[in-house]
Amino acid sequence: MKVVVIGAHLHRTDIEPLAEAVPAGALWLSGISVDDNQPLGDRDLLLRVANVRAALLERATFVAIRYGFAADVAKVTPYLAKWQQLLEAHRDHVEMTLKVAAAAPLPRPDRRDYASGAGYLRALHASAAEIDPRFREAAEARIGGIERRWTPRDNASVEMAALVERADVARVIEAGQSLKRDFPEVPFLLSGPWPLEVFADDHQ
Amino acid sequence: MNDQSAEDLSLLETLDHLLDRGVVISGEAVISIGDVDLLYLGLNIVLANVDAIVRTARRT
Repeated sequence: MKVVVIGAHLHRTDIEPLAEAVPAGALWLSGISVDDNQPLGDRDLLLRVANVRAALLERATFVAIRYGFAADVAKVTPYLAKWQQLLEAHRDHVEMTLKVAAAAPLPRPDRRDYASGAGYLRALHASAAEIDPRFREAAEARIGGIERRWTPRDNASVEMAALVERADVARVIEAGQSLKRDFPEVPFLLSGPWPLEVFADDHQ
Repeated sequence: MNDQSAEDLSLLETLDHLLDRGVVISGEAVISIGDVDLLYLGLNIVLANVDAIVRTARRT
């Protein structure tokens, strides 16, 4: 058996009995036990993990760990001090995501030009399209939040992650509806709340 | 947006966050599903997600 990790948490009580709690220094990893031979792309498993992830977020904010990592405390040890600091600073905060489709996507890089998937993804990010600056300005002003970070996702979309108070989520959703009314020509999706995904990842 | 398309978009968005967000542990190999690694699965979800956003925006 292996434990597919979902996130890192401050307290064991933030995890159990929704998921398994694996001690990692002063923190706890949440996860789900699966057979060693269980394909990680199995649809039911993905949905199960997604549901548990959402339930865990209702309990408390956690640092999200990319799907596919099997629990190995030694591998996460270098991150623990930073995660603890993040969790203590942002326990009452969640992320909201505004994904905006570009009006005129740039040409997509050809996969055959890249030796690795990671290189291809980097090229996709580098070729990301721009969005209407008026929409961008309005989105920042209306969604607000404690901190915002724009990330080029690919050649067809740009994304803003906003760190907001849990109590502020309803207001942010209302802000999304006002953007929809005022910018009907801009395709976008406001989603959340999410755990600490972008703001916990140094590579973003 | 009808209920079905909203549900599909929500599912795509949930899977996108699961597969393409959060901390990547250094040195962790990308785990494969058959010949398709999770990186590509995540990428396909991202692209499908953007297409779905555009389609649903056109319908509303």
